[in-house]
Amino acid sequence: MVMENRVCIVGLGVVEQNGDTPDFCHKELLFHATRRALDDAGIEREHIGGAITASSDFPEGRSLSNQYTLDSIGGVMKPCDLRLAEDGMHALFAGYLEVMVDPRLFMVVAAVQKPSERAGERNGFHKILTACLDPVYNRPVCNSVRHVESLEAVLAAMDARAYMNRSGVTEEQLARVALKNINNAATASGKPACTVEDVLASPERSWPMRDSTMAKERDAACTLILTSEKMAGKLKKEPVFVSGVGWSSEGSQLAARAHGVSRDTQRAAHQAYRMAGIRRPPEEVDLAEVSDWYAHRELIHAEALGLCAPGETASCIERGIFEHEGPVPVNLSGGLLGKGNSMITSGLLCVAEVARRIRGEADDAPRRKVQVGLAHSWGGFISPTAGVAVLSKW
Amino acid sequence: MARKVALVGVGMQKFEFCKTETIEEMIFDVARNALEDARLSKEDIDAVVSGSAVDAFCGIVNSDKVATDGTGGFLKPTMRNSTSGSTAVSTPILGYNHIASGLYDIVMVVCYEKMSENPSAQAVFNTVYDEAYVRPIGLNVPIQCGLEARAYLHRYGLTERQMAKVSVKNRGNAISNPYAQLPMKLTVDDVMASPYLSWPVKLLDTSPVTDGARAVILASEDVARELTDSPVWIRGVGRGADSVWFMGRSNSNLGRLDYAYLAARQAYEMAGIKDPGVEIDYAEVYDPFTFKEMQHCEALGLCPEGGAGKMIDEGVSCKDGALPVNASGGLQGEGNPIGAGMSRLTWCYLQIQGKAGDCQVSKDVSTAVCNAWGGMYQYNAVMVIGRD
Repeated sequence: MVMENRVCIVGLGVVEQNGDTPDFCHKELLFHATRRALDDAGIEREHIGGAITASSDFPEGRSLSNQYTLDSIGGVMKPCDLRLAEDGMHALFAGYLEVMVDPRLFMVVAAVQKPSERAGERNGFHKILTACLDPVYNRPVCNSVRHVESLEAVLAAMDARAYMNRSGVTEEQLARVALKNINNAATASGKPACTVEDVLASPERSWPMRDSTMAKERDAACTLILTSEKMAGKLKKEPVFVSGVGWSSEGSQLAARAHGVSRDTQRAAHQAYRMAGIRRPPEEVDLAEVSDWYAHRELIHAEALGLCAPGETASCIERGIFEHEGPVPVNLSGGLLGKGNSMITSGLLCVAEVARRIRGEADDAPRRKVQVGLAHSWGGFISPTAGVAVLSKW
Repeated sequence: MARKVALVGVGMQKFEFCKTETIEEMIFDVARNALEDARLSKEDIDAVVSGSAVDAFCGIVNSDKVATDGTGGFLKPTMRNSTSGSTAVSTPILGYNHIASGLYDIVMVVCYEKMSENPSAQAVFNTVYDEAYVRPIGLNVPIQCGLEARAYLHRYGLTERQMAKVSVKNRGNAISNPYAQLPMKLTVDDVMASPYLSWPVKLLDTSPVTDGARAVILASEDVARELTDSPVWIRGVGRGADSVWFMGRSNSNLGRLDYAYLAARQAYEMAGIKDPGVEIDYAEVYDPFTFKEMQHCEALGLCPEGGAGKMIDEGVSCKDGALPVNASGGLQGEGNPIGAGMSRLTWCYLQIQGKAGDCQVSKDVSTAVCNAWGGMYQYNAVMVIGRD
């Protein structure tokens, strides 16, 4: 039955660093991503009913960074404009709401990140990290870390330690998570594979965090086009359905957040699974793209998403559950550790990747049939939120 | 099919130049006030939508996230909207979508701004422009609005004295508003004698820098009917955005806000309003500068295009006029904490409920409209609310 109120993805456009567009500015990155998405959907700019961007000002180095790219995504003089200051996947959620309210719309949802514009060690990320903390309690403590450039590693290490204590996961097992993703990305781009020894040999930043278990930033832009099932029926390509969405926020204060677990992911997944009618995620989900900002976060998120039983992550690694050929492959694309972290844009890129695989456009499509896929995003220490989207072929 | 959405409570707070509370405390205050007004507890809230214009004002990245606990959004879906000044109305529109889509039943909408944390709001506003062409010439809001005001006055043959009358009206109205930052008893000559910020915009044509927050609680039809016998419905919403490259807008004349007309048309179509000048009983119009109230009255159809001067001359928009505008004092009198300009919506709600205290207008109000202007001075959001 064709329903008006089922939301689907009808167009994808991605521009990644090291691709064919290395010299573009913010606006151009997003323009090309949007052009590709429109071409992919087979529609033109005049068909766009509304446009949503999500971004965060400080990482972009401009105020109203979300409004700045309005022209690039065809949002001029359109009725449903919305600008979010959020993780990119929230643009998908806001677009989902718009289509549910008005099923006639073609909504453009987009995000762009260009960290290479920033200067300094790790692109000055530590300055953004301290600026996201409340100025009374948390910021002074974090600013007093002896080498403030290592603040990210210190925070990640505390989180990783809490997780390792709880789960019994070892440093070598964390290295194998990083290895899996690095090699997944290498396979996709034809690079030589790494070994666990290579990962463990990379410089240690704050035990157990190493360069190779922390994702590095990269530039990327991503645009998706959403509409209702009814409108999608008029297009040539098969739509990919957004069958469940959920999002949630952790607490304000760093010290009061739960470390080594992801309560926000649990809540978001609960909502998304309920909408999608998924009761046994490991059996019903064919693959997942999960935030692996840090190697241990992939495991925390996989557990919070119910892809493995609580406390079972260590044995899942040993059994290769999340590996390329495992029963629930996680981050086939290479994830953030393999491909790089585009922060705000990463979540939307996960959605695009899962949608692409459901469409059967990946290299291994002939032998891997994907019916239901899961995309997850986590805002990191700068934005303690999680978003989950369940995508399906039918 | 979109579900009906009602406003069931508002949370108010005094607007001030420099609040001593943190953002989290400010937000906690209005969120609690709104919950008390709606007779709900924080456990009843399904999702939170927050709005603030620009993080650089308070110097906190993702500033809503440091206040998640204050909104009652802990481990709940939260979403932050940010469209500069128009955040004030585009945020409740996002809240409206949360419920109209059928996903949630009760949504807390919180807007806030703490502008006193930085030494120059206008230096922050310069950073919204592109760094190659516009930022270096030092453009900011008063300068851009000086250009717009000049084009507007010229196009429709209006005068600076008519602009001044709006300032006198709004700051005078603010005297009855207990939350107001700048209540003033002025004459037109006082305004005319104030110094130019950017010709023809003068100091007393301009709203102040403000700290403050506002909250509203939205509910689905079923919940609203349980909570109250007199729900106030969101009857129409509209948004419109022109190119951010203001030299290349579809409308070559800066004096006419095409995007505001677009937003108003959508909201009125949805609300089934054909003649807003007659069918709208009360309006809270975005007035960061006095001429903006005039431009917005025209775009909202409260007077004919170019008729805003006559409207203020004849006292139509005064508190006891035929179509009162900004009886709360507007941004001119109540203060302008950019995102928390959602106060416009809260005052429409209070007027319809008859709870506006000394600001209550004498006529019966069943339908009201509010708008907000912002983005990179090219975005407008409009909301029409009313009784059954």
